[in-house]
Amino acid sequence: MTLETEVQSLRQVPMFRDVDPARLKLLAFTSERVQFAAGQRFFSQGDPSDAAYVLLDGRASVLLNTPTGDIQVAQLSGNALVGEMGILSDTPRSATIMAAEPTTALRIDKRVFLELLAQFPQMSLAVMRELAQRLERTNAQLVAQSS
Amino acid sequence: MEKSLFRYIWTHSKRDQLFICFVVLLSQPFYFISLDLPRRIVNEAIQGEAFKDGNATAPFLQIHIDWPQWLGGGSLHLFDGFQVGRVGLLLGLSSLFLFFVVVNNGFKYWINLAKGVLGERMLRRMRFELFAMVLRFTPEALRTVKSSETATIIKDEVEPIGGFIGDAFITPVLLGMQALTALVFIMVQNVWLGLMALGVIAVQFTIIPKLRRELLRLGKQRQLASRELAGRIGEVLDGIEVVHVHNAYAWERAEIGGRLFGLFSIRLKIYNRKFAVKFLNNFLSQVTPFLFYAIGGYFALRGTLDIGQLVAVINAYRELPPPLKELIDWDQQRLDVQVKYDQVTQHFAEERLGPMIESQEEIEDEPLAGPLVAEGLSISGPHGDMIIEDASFSLELPTNVAMISPGSPAASIMARVLARRVPNFGGRICIGDRELVRLPPAVVGRRVAYAGVDPILFPGSIRDNLIYGLRFRPMGQTEEDRREMAQRIAEAARTGNPFESISDCWIDYERVGLKDEQDLDRVLVTLLERVEMGEAIYLFGLAGQIDPERHTALAERVVEARRRLQENFRSNGMADLVEPFDMGRYNEQATVAENLLFGVPISDEFMGRNLADNPLFRSAIHRAGLTDKLTRMGLEIAETMTEIFQGLPPGHSLFAQFSFIGAEELPEFQAILRRQSRNGHNLKRDERTRLLSLPLAYVEAKHRLGLLDDELRQQVVEARSLIRETLEKADATGVEFYDPERICMAAPLRDNLLFGRVNYQVADARHRVAEAVAAVVRELDLLEDVARIGLDHEVGAAGRLLSPQERASVNLVRCLVKRPDILIIDGALAPFDEERAHRILQALLDHLEQQSLFMVLSNDRQADAFDVQMRFSDGRIVTEKAADPQRRAKTPAMEPAPSVAGEVA
Repeated sequence: MTLETEVQSLRQVPMFRDVDPARLKLLAFTSERVQFAAGQRFFSQGDPSDAAYVLLDGRASVLLNTPTGDIQVAQLSGNALVGEMGILSDTPRSATIMAAEPTTALRIDKRVFLELLAQFPQMSLAVMRELAQRLERTNAQLVAQSS
Repeated sequence: MEKSLFRYIWTHSKRDQLFICFVVLLSQPFYFISLDLPRRIVNEAIQGEAFKDGNATAPFLQIHIDWPQWLGGGSLHLFDGFQVGRVGLLLGLSSLFLFFVVVNNGFKYWINLAKGVLGERMLRRMRFELFAMVLRFTPEALRTVKSSETATIIKDEVEPIGGFIGDAFITPVLLGMQALTALVFIMVQNVWLGLMALGVIAVQFTIIPKLRRELLRLGKQRQLASRELAGRIGEVLDGIEVVHVHNAYAWERAEIGGRLFGLFSIRLKIYNRKFAVKFLNNFLSQVTPFLFYAIGGYFALRGTLDIGQLVAVINAYRELPPPLKELIDWDQQRLDVQVKYDQVTQHFAEERLGPMIESQEEIEDEPLAGPLVAEGLSISGPHGDMIIEDASFSLELPTNVAMISPGSPAASIMARVLARRVPNFGGRICIGDRELVRLPPAVVGRRVAYAGVDPILFPGSIRDNLIYGLRFRPMGQTEEDRREMAQRIAEAARTGNPFESISDCWIDYERVGLKDEQDLDRVLVTLLERVEMGEAIYLFGLAGQIDPERHTALAERVVEARRRLQENFRSNGMADLVEPFDMGRYNEQATVAENLLFGVPISDEFMGRNLADNPLFRSAIHRAGLTDKLTRMGLEIAETMTEIFQGLPPGHSLFAQFSFIGAEELPEFQAILRRQSRNGHNLKRDERTRLLSLPLAYVEAKHRLGLLDDELRQQVVEARSLIRETLEKADATGVEFYDPERICMAAPLRDNLLFGRVNYQVADARHRVAEAVAAVVRELDLLEDVARIGLDHEVGAAGRLLSPQERASVNLVRCLVKRPDILIIDGALAPFDEERAHRILQALLDHLEQQSLFMVLSNDRQADAFDVQMRFSDGRIVTEKAADPQRRAKTPAMEPAPSVAGEVA
């Protein structure tokens, strides 16, 4: 797997769909590709947020820490972006991510990501658009629940 | 120092000056003979005057002295010489000429050498005396003395003085004699003309120095202005951060620009004056012949003066101006140098200096124990306000004391008084039966340690800084070349310099209860661990290099540790974390350059991009058939880089961090790419070199551009032995090659332990590898050896390569290792957070069982741990003895050495 395939993966992520390919290449190049063994944690709930990850290969579980122990709330697979909220809002990790099987991910460093956003308005717009859409979806869900 | 430069020179160099003078006088007859010989060769030998009476032979080497007319005439024959023919006379006189040339040049050589050496010796003496005075500056003087100004005084301002010293006495004597001879000759010919010449000289020697007085004033100004310039540059550099923070570039530029203009204006005034004086001087020396011609000629016409005499006088006068001119120049130089000297001595004026620091005589070295009693203490602050007034206290040493003065500097000032940093206070402080102020500095230096807020470190290794306080005097001679030593000491004796050499062993191991260097290192490491620097020193050690001669024990076990580590990786399923160096396999985690060299570059020409330009390396990869492939790789890298980094402003941090190509090179590589796509493979040599340099830094696992295939990998691996052969054949020592069975001295210790590269693509690999390394180091009991290498870590200028906490730790250990009877801590723990400060404090209290600790605290929070609380308020001091210091109960069992891991690259 090379940079090119990683760029393909990044393009599948909704947040980066409209970003210029050269910028995605820069994003991929400045990121690290890391492998996690099954059961190895990407990060734990409460850790400081230092990076976001794009799953390139494999599956990972989203775990929430409860008084009765960790419970799995979701499962992530191919081309999922995870941990981006923490680096954007500068808050600690809200959940634990653990590799469910040998998993390869692209680790996007927080500092580099923020610098790219500051440098390229197009990328910032793409991120904003994605966040706005998520907010809209949440609102819609809230309306659906309350009615 | 002497007030007058001449007295100073005379006091310290009269013997040499007189001797050189004597040799100069001795050389004069030879010089005159050699001037006379060419005339004789022409007249006597070539034109044949010696043979004009039909003589077939003439005397050669005839020595006789013709007495001048006014001594009654006649001549004294000493040696009648050899009778030789015409060719014989020519050859004889020519050889004689050659002989005198050699003799004269021999004299010249010796005189110049002697003058130079004399000047240099005096310079050395002066510089050393000035430096000795630097050590004596009083605290008040130090507030106004600028370090860079003082440095430029000692280095630059005394330099011309040194150059002058060799000429100080010899030149006036020699030139004066020449001038006097000419003058006497004129006098003998004609008293009136002689008096006339004398009159003009008198005018020259009275007016010109007067005109030069202004020059001296300007010279003084210039010296001060340029000294201040040096001082200002030093200040700006020391405070460069403030300049950056407040964007004061324009101000500073204008500041310096203004000073430079000031210097220029002074120089301009100097030039105006100087050349005007020169003009006058030249005029006056030309006026004398005018008088001779006009007045002498008039008398000759009137018949009162013999024409022959007039011609002789005029001829003699020709000899007069050059020495006079030089004499006047010498006088100018003398005044110049005297001004400089005065300025220098003013900087080191007596009132700015403390008492002489007596040399190391043997002193009674009793422990500072017994009761510490202070009576009627009064200390005033910097503004004249009383900070402590008529206070008294008494303590039984050893003890530990918390000095608490919330919101007032009283405790800190008291601490400085105890450390003898404040000399002026009222009242008495006694320790046992000795008064504190009367203790010799050497005793205070050994028995009292003071750690203030500002940890001052000198450039050098951490170890050098830690043992700074142990170097009282040289203990024993190390093996030094005896002749060199004799010369060094003889020179030191001639110039008032110290005889001690810093290459001797300066540490009295016995006094601090140690056996040897190793023992000392052990103690240093233990102490560093106590003050929370254990992990840092371990990491410095891993990053440091092994010197097999100094770290023999470790060097022998590195390979063992390396093997153990690899075994551990294998048995713990961590084999994918580190890819070991293997002569037969391409290392995916290493750069292409490292894969090709299979070693670590030692010299610059094999490092970084220089490698691409190295002819040996180039020829080797050419033979391996790699040049084209690597160049193509370089093209691909350049293409990718120009594509993805386009649009980032130059200087953006991502460039420096990630790009193969610097922002400033981007356009050049773009040009190369354009040219290449236009004319195919026609690249210039330097373009190829630049392209070739790119893939050298490429790591497939990290950069993931997919540029390596198995064939290329195989070729790179095969090229290794070719490169090694080429380098070895050319005797190039720029690369140390990897060998699994040997240590690689050029590589840091951690690389030697890993003998491979950490996998970029395994999550959290660095951390896990670091833990594994730490485990093996502990398992093989190498922790201390690693830390010893860490002691070699450089601290940088003013310790800037260390963090503030590390600097504070070094400062504390520097005090502790002296084993002082009294340790005074005044803000030295400030860089630590409260929790660490508390831990360090506990460690200190435990460590100083038999010694006393005085610590300045700003509040009561940690005061409970001390035996005595000394409180300061309204100028009073109250001491309370805690009935039961709580620290014993609170002290946790001594923690094991903190776990060390850290990052491993």
